Amino acid sequence: MRLTVFNGSPRGTKSNTDILINSFLDGFMRSDGNTYELAYLKRIKESNNFIKLFQATEQVLLAFPLYLDGPPAIVKTFIELLEPLCGRADNPGVGFIVQSGFPEANHSRWLERYLKKLASRLNCEYKGTVIKGGVEGIQALPALASRKLLRSFYKLGKTFGETGEFDQQIVRKLAQPERLTKFQFWRFNLLGKFYWNTMLRKNKAFGKRFDKPYS
Amino acid sequence: MKIVILNGNPVENTGFDNYLKNLASLLESRNHVVTILKLREMKIKYCTGFFGCWVKTPGKCVIKDDMSNICREYICSDLALFTSPVIMGFPSALLKKAHERIIPLLHPYFEFIQNEVHHLSRYDKYPLIGLLLEKEGDTDEEDIEIISGIYRRTAINLNTSLCFVKLTSDLIEEVANEINSI
Repeated sequence: MRLTVFNGSPRGTKSNTDILINSFLDGFMRSDGNTYELAYLKRIKESNNFIKLFQATEQVLLAFPLYLDGPPAIVKTFIELLEPLCGRADNPGVGFIVQSGFPEANHSRWLERYLKKLASRLNCEYKGTVIKGGVEGIQALPALASRKLLRSFYKLGKTFGETGEFDQQIVRKLAQPERLTKFQFWRFNLLGKFYWNTMLRKNKAFGKRFDKPYS
Repeated sequence: MKIVILNGNPVENTGFDNYLKNLASLLESRNHVVTILKLREMKIKYCTGFFGCWVKTPGKCVIKDDMSNICREYICSDLALFTSPVIMGFPSALLKKAHERIIPLLHPYFEFIQNEVHHLSRYDKYPLIGLLLEKEGDTDEEDIEIISGIYRRTAINLNTSLCFVKLTSDLIEEVANEINSI
C-alpha cells in the first residue's frame, strides 16, 4: 500500500504531531510492500509537490494540531490547493489525525464534521478522523509516560497498513475523555500551570505573565 | 460602537470588497466607528506554534509584522466582524492566518468554562464577534452549519459570543440592522 502523510503542524519536524506520525508509520511499515512519503505543510515553497504527492498515492493521512477550533492556517492553505482535484474519480482515500493541547475530544467534533465533508467534496473515500487530546507537553514527559500513547499510534498504523482502515476500537479509546469532570479539570489545571510557569521562568518572563500590552 | 471588520478575501474581488465598503458606510451613518482591515494587503506571517506570545513576551507575538496592529484594533473594539468567501467549505486561509495570531490576547492558564477547558482571559473585555460569509458555488446549508458551529466554539475560546452569521446574499441593510440591535 502506498501512503502519503502530510504533517500539518506549524512546528514541522519539532512537533508533537510528528511524534504521533512516526509511531503510526513504524506500525504501518510492518506490512511487506508498504511504502510512504512524508511531507511537511509548513514548507510552503514545496506546495507544487504536495499536489503531486496527493495524486500519486492510494491513501492520504493528514495530521495536524487543533488551532482555535479549526485547522491551522497552513493546513487550510493546503486544502485550498486541492480545489482543482474536487470530484475527480481517481483521488486517494483520506484519513485525518487531529491532536489538541486541550484534553477533551469534544473540542474537535465540529472540525471532524468539516473533515468528513471535505473528503466527500474531494470525492475521496473517508477513512475517519482520529482525535487525541492532551498532547501538548508529551515532549516534556518521561519516555515511560508517553509510551502507552505511542504504542496506540503504532497499533493504529499497523492495522492501517494491513487493512487500509483505522481500528475503530483504538480510535474510540484515543478520543477519551470526551469531556472532563471537575476533578479531572483540577488535575489538568495544576499540571498546566506547572508547565506554563516552568517555561515562563525559563524565559525570565514569569513576572510579566499578566501583561496587557494592548490596553 | 467601535467595529473592526477583518476582510479575509484573498483575491481582488470588487463584489465582496464593495459589500464591506457599503456596509461600513451605512454603519458609519448610524454613528458607529468602523475600521476595515484588508488582510491580503497586510504583512501577516503564519503562526509557528511555539507559544512565544505566552512564555517569552507575554501578550505579544515574537514575530514582528502587522499582527500587532490587528491585535490592538481587535481588543479595542466592541464588535469584530470576521468576513470571508467560503473556500473548500471554510473561511479563507488568509482569515484563519490572522485569526490564530490573536492568541496573544489570551492567557496560557486554563479555566473551566461551560464544563470545558479553555484559556484564561488576559484582558477585562473582549469584542463580540460576528461572521459574514460569501457562498461559493457548492456551499450548502451543512457547510454554513459547520462553519457556524466552529465559530461558536471559537467565540468561547476568545471569551466572547458569536452574535450572528450572515451571508453576502443578505441585504446590507439587514446586516447593519443586526449589528444595530446588539
